[in-house]
Amino acid sequence: MSTPSTRSPLATAYEVLQPRILQRLLDLRATLDPALGRMDEGTARGQINAVLDHLGTFIATGDMGQHRAFLHTFLAMRAAEAQSPAAVLAMLVAIGDTAAQVAQDEGAGTAEGAELTLLLTKVTATTARAVNDLIAEELERRLGTWNELRAQTTGAT
Amino acid sequence: MTVQREMRVAGDTNVGKVRSTNEDSMILEPRLGLYVVLDGMGGANAGDIASQMARDAIRDYVMQRRGNAPARQLLEAAIQAGSASVFAASQANRERHGMGTTVVACLVVDPDHLVIGHVGDSRAYLLRQGRLLALTRDHTIVEELVDRGLLTADEAERHPYKNVLSRNLGARPETRVDLVDVEVLPGDRVMLCSDGLYGYASTEAIQYILGSGDAPEHVARDLIELALRGGGGDNVSTIVLEAPQAAPTASTVVKTSGAMAWWQKRQRFLQIAKDRGLPKNPIVRGLSPDEALELIGLSLCQAIFHDLEKSTGVNVWTFAQNLAGGWFERGGEWSAVRGLMDILHTCARVCVDEIRSADTQLGFLLDVAVSRALVVAELALGGLLAERLRVVDTDLIGLQSERAAMVDRQAIAAAETLSEDPDAAQPWVDRPTIPFLRPDRPVTNSGVSDEVSDAMAKTMTIARARTAPKAELVKQVLTALETVANDAGGNFATAVLQAREIYGVRSVDDAGVMPLFDALDTARSVTASSVQQIQATPATRAKVLLALSTAHQRLVGATTGLVLEASIPYGDRLREVQAITGELRDQVASAEKRRAALERENATNIDSSLPWGSRGTTEW
Repeated sequence: MSTPSTRSPLATAYEVLQPRILQRLLDLRATLDPALGRMDEGTARGQINAVLDHLGTFIATGDMGQHRAFLHTFLAMRAAEAQSPAAVLAMLVAIGDTAAQVAQDEGAGTAEGAELTLLLTKVTATTARAVNDLIAEELERRLGTWNELRAQTTGAT
Repeated sequence: MTVQREMRVAGDTNVGKVRSTNEDSMILEPRLGLYVVLDGMGGANAGDIASQMARDAIRDYVMQRRGNAPARQLLEAAIQAGSASVFAASQANRERHGMGTTVVACLVVDPDHLVIGHVGDSRAYLLRQGRLLALTRDHTIVEELVDRGLLTADEAERHPYKNVLSRNLGARPETRVDLVDVEVLPGDRVMLCSDGLYGYASTEAIQYILGSGDAPEHVARDLIELALRGGGGDNVSTIVLEAPQAAPTASTVVKTSGAMAWWQKRQRFLQIAKDRGLPKNPIVRGLSPDEALELIGLSLCQAIFHDLEKSTGVNVWTFAQNLAGGWFERGGEWSAVRGLMDILHTCARVCVDEIRSADTQLGFLLDVAVSRALVVAELALGGLLAERLRVVDTDLIGLQSERAAMVDRQAIAAAETLSEDPDAAQPWVDRPTIPFLRPDRPVTNSGVSDEVSDAMAKTMTIARARTAPKAELVKQVLTALETVANDAGGNFATAVLQAREIYGVRSVDDAGVMPLFDALDTARSVTASSVQQIQATPATRAKVLLALSTAHQRLVGATTGLVLEASIPYGDRLREVQAITGELRDQVASAEKRRAALERENATNIDSSLPWGSRGTTEW
């Protein structure tokens, strides 16, 4: 007896489309992000695919906690490469937009293509919102540290 | 204005308000699909000659070979031809020696594809769906140092040579050309410009004008006007290319029926906003509910309506920037902005769902468009947050330095107090051993917890990533710092062993010591600032800072001990030299006495007419 798959049709559709989204992103990478544009294709492929893989997982599971954790790590890694949070946000949005564009082009005229386009647009909006919240949390933490240090320095003098 | 394969193009240039001549040149050749901006440089009128010579050479090259070579190779070779032409002229005429020009060129391959080539600091931008993206990266010395990891972006911004070009056309017969392929989407705009534009106008203002939806000739004119209003301190040139809009499909429907359907829902939007508590948000405190709804709710409705009409995101972008920018300037908190945006998001969603229930197709298209508009709003907010983060980061680094200086001052004061102690005044070189070099000396350190250890590992990962690839010594010091800080036993031996690792085999008489102390100092700065980048509670962060600071002190102490230890043989040799010098001095004195005695004995034999006198005493 076979077990019915619990994977949503849209998650499957995204999985099928992922190689074409990746190729479009690789072709456009110089316009997406200067840092990606300077990378060789192999390295850029690895970075973009990591984001696309995660988007697939998020579409399949809808797990917001996991999504935030991924974005947090992604922001930290890019920060370690001296990328500003605004640049990271722009890149993630550009990846989401391109994915939606490919879904729209490839699924033109089909209900599934339209739904996937809308879903990817909403995922991009969710991602942008989550990234901003993470930046705001980081800002709050650093302001806390700043206040502590200020108090210590003032107290000591 | 010209039409290139349905692509609309316009350009404009202006001498500016300060310069007397225009050293910029442009090419607008729709037949060739070639569009170029050049910015000449060099005294004695050579700048305009350089840009004009390069312009002519590039145009002639493309004209003769268009269709015979792939676009990338053709554009690169044309720019090389421009460089060779300027170089030859500068070598032939002493007065023109040193002239050169920047270039940014666009070769339209077909309506869906173009190639950008550039050398120097003239730029190309792409405006896509309301967002401005840089297609080029300036060829300045500082940017190249950033690329090699030798400078951070912040350091580059403050660097005195940030405007010094690392490449141009004319300095050499050949130059390196950067090329970018751009896949053009319907409605995309590409803008080429000289530094006279972006040097005197903010990126936001450029984005606003480029995304205005006006025709390219108006946009080019407005961009020039923008630079002139910003001071017009340089020649300014710009070319704007606009890709044709897509065939009348979804976007046309959104622009017309979609925009109207949205606008008709504005009262419903305001009603939902009121029900959701928009007038109670702290940002609109002090306003009446109607004023608050009009100021925030209606403004967003209008912004989305205008963006739907023109297929841009510029109005929503401006709305979000004004809303959050003003609030942050008043010291407002992020939570209020998030709360307000969530209310607006819900209002938009309900309105779109209602439109969708009446007209599935239109509602779907509107759903995508409105979702994109809200992404644009988040992008604008992200830019503001990131800028605030950058400012706080800068302040934090300043504060850390201030604190470190304070600790140093306290340490110096303590050392001075000690030096007044008669026991402490005993010269250290006469002591048989240096106390802090004893590897078995226990210190009180209970070790670090797992949480702190984990946070420390993250800190060190970031610190290593922020260290220049060639700074091997700093990386060694970071490793040593981590080992010492993680030493659960708290034994000073770890610091000594690590110091020996990084000290290696070196003596104080070659140049090996100062780079080591420089590396220790660099490691301290980079770890202190990296602590701020990890996600941890303030308490954990403070513990990490303390552990690293203690480890640093131990490492510096142990290293200093090694240096002193290495210098002891030199002290011994100095004392030997002093002893020998003393003996020699005694011998010289004794010889002098003998000489004087001999002179006295032989005084009668000396001729009194000689200059040293009759008694034989010397008078020199």
